[in-house]
Amino acid sequence: MRVSFPYMGSTIVYGKLLELLGHQVVMPEPPTRKTVDLGVKYSPEFACFPFKVIMGTYLETLERGVELFVTTGGQGPCRAGFYGELHKKIIQNMGYDVDFIVLDPPWRDYEKFFRQILTLKGDNSWFKVAEVIHTVYKMCKSVDIIEKLITTVRAYAGDRAALNRSWRDILTAYSQIETARDVARVEEEALRVIEKYDIKLPPQEKRIRIGIVGEIYVVMEPSINGNIEEILNSLGAETERSLYLSTYIDETIFPWIGRKEKKKLIKKASGYIDLNIGGHARLSVGQIVDFKDRGFDGVIHLKPFACLPELISESMLEKLSADLDMPILSLSIDEQTAEANIMTRLDAFVDFIKYGKAYSKERVSLSV
Amino acid sequence: MKIGIPRSLLYYYYYPFWQTLFAELGNEVVVSDPTSGDQLNEGVKESVSEICVPMKVHIGQVLNLLEKGVDLIYIPRFVSIRRGITFCPKFLGLPDMIKNSIAAVRGKILTHEIRAKTDDISAYKNYTIFRDIFRVSKGELKKALEAARQNWLKFRALQQEGYKTEKLLLGEKEKREEGLLKIGVLGYVYNLYDRFINMDFLDRLEELGAKIVTFEMLDGDIVDRFIKNLRKPMFWEFTNRLMAAGYHFINSADIDGIIHITAFGCGPDSILGPFLEIDAGQKNKPFMTLRIDEQTGESHLITRIEAFLDLLKLKKRSDIA
Repeated sequence: MRVSFPYMGSTIVYGKLLELLGHQVVMPEPPTRKTVDLGVKYSPEFACFPFKVIMGTYLETLERGVELFVTTGGQGPCRAGFYGELHKKIIQNMGYDVDFIVLDPPWRDYEKFFRQILTLKGDNSWFKVAEVIHTVYKMCKSVDIIEKLITTVRAYAGDRAALNRSWRDILTAYSQIETARDVARVEEEALRVIEKYDIKLPPQEKRIRIGIVGEIYVVMEPSINGNIEEILNSLGAETERSLYLSTYIDETIFPWIGRKEKKKLIKKASGYIDLNIGGHARLSVGQIVDFKDRGFDGVIHLKPFACLPELISESMLEKLSADLDMPILSLSIDEQTAEANIMTRLDAFVDFIKYGKAYSKERVSLSV
Repeated sequence: MKIGIPRSLLYYYYYPFWQTLFAELGNEVVVSDPTSGDQLNEGVKESVSEICVPMKVHIGQVLNLLEKGVDLIYIPRFVSIRRGITFCPKFLGLPDMIKNSIAAVRGKILTHEIRAKTDDISAYKNYTIFRDIFRVSKGELKKALEAARQNWLKFRALQQEGYKTEKLLLGEKEKREEGLLKIGVLGYVYNLYDRFINMDFLDRLEELGAKIVTFEMLDGDIVDRFIKNLRKPMFWEFTNRLMAAGYHFINSADIDGIIHITAFGCGPDSILGPFLEIDAGQKNKPFMTLRIDEQTGESHLITRIEAFLDLLKLKKRSDIA
């Protein structure tokens, strides 16, 4: 069966998972302006932006003969948990003959969950399934390590374009792995490639580090958030996100692995948001505090327009910024977002931080 | 003590409960003034720009209560009133949002979590913090809760008999008008009964000869049974209720048309809307969505209602002929 899935983050992970299980995978392409327009046309006006983009990629991949979409459902109370059902309703109403597997948390309906897993498992042995999951998980961890390294050194790279090309090559190499041993090989190779650029990090006090928090889709997907990390890097700031692929997988598939980290963040968010209100809102707030504690210079908060949970965290950014004495910039992303707008605001934000840094140093030196 | 209750959000569903509860505990209950332009503008200033208009109204109401000099403002955190189903994230984070965005209100918020199995929210376990705050014994609190429950049940029964919610909340009794056309109106209580933000939408419908049916007028069993039978219910309590009512209207022969009134940027409704719209279309039931926010123009609203009702009248005539 020809299988596809929503485009999100490093799609190589989902692609790899299904491919290693022997399915015929139709890889969704990164969303373009055309994808977005297509998605917007067939989505409810007030559905959030990720819904529309995913709709667009579904419709594009449908042209390439997809018979089954695999996606995840959820528990709510964020809207994303209902995407699968609504996409299905709209796409089937448009007259397409396509099946959906919406993976909900097993406790909602054990029998259904088991049936779905059996469909995906196909003729593979359980041992093979475990091996595949192990390999893909390793790959995620490894991709994340390299990505964090890239978004740090890119801020000081002389030839950024070349470094970006190398990064793309590295991702291609990852997409061709087959075993856990391949992962280790590709990682070593990647580290060697980056080392060749011979980038020296400036002394600690001169580095500008910016954390990025917010709604998972816009935080993780560069083609949606206007390549925000690359822009910040080009302005001379290092970046780190609150969410990487492996954090997401830890959360949804292996919740016990990330539990300690999560507890820490929940504690840091207390007094601001005291209950899980859906999405990552509570953790976003915890992350903001955490970035400050780790000495970051500023935080960018990203959300799709009218995102339910992140609106609550946005409402307290002013207070957070004052309490923590750290600049925070909140950006809403949707189909109307203009690149020039994001550019200008990021430019001003980084300038502001640079100025603040220089000024506070002056203040210190004056007082001495 | 003077307890302030904002005239917004679930005030339109639980006020009779709250009013009795706080009065029984020996407090003076102060309700904020009905929504007005100035009050809403104040609310908008203190809100995140993208949030839905009911939340902006709520913030305006809280500011209004501060001006009235109340001791505490009651902002409960509604978590769940049905197993496995919660409220919209904005309700879940409501006290957090208010507390962290309005400096003047800190220390004046009375909040606690409400978790219940049904929309009867009188279980003692939710209210234990009241004992210290109002210095009452367990027995007294339980008695007050029971009185509040009785009053609220009476209110719910009257709603189902077809009395106007907006009048009942003011202590008056008036039946919904009869009319030529029977219109199913879908909307959250805080959008339906806030006359300012919906510009007297219900009265206008009635003036134009419509008999209105809303979700809280339906028998509770219809709603409960529907939600129980859903393979995957929505995550949000009142959205599910609207969905139940919506499908009930779609399948009722005596309903002439359905109007879904929703706030700009309402997340749950953006998911609910397409389901109802697609299925109403398939069943050939006229369906219209009206969107309201702080900038809605009155004439636009009237024009659309009039046009919709005119079409329904034409349809009815041609159906009979």
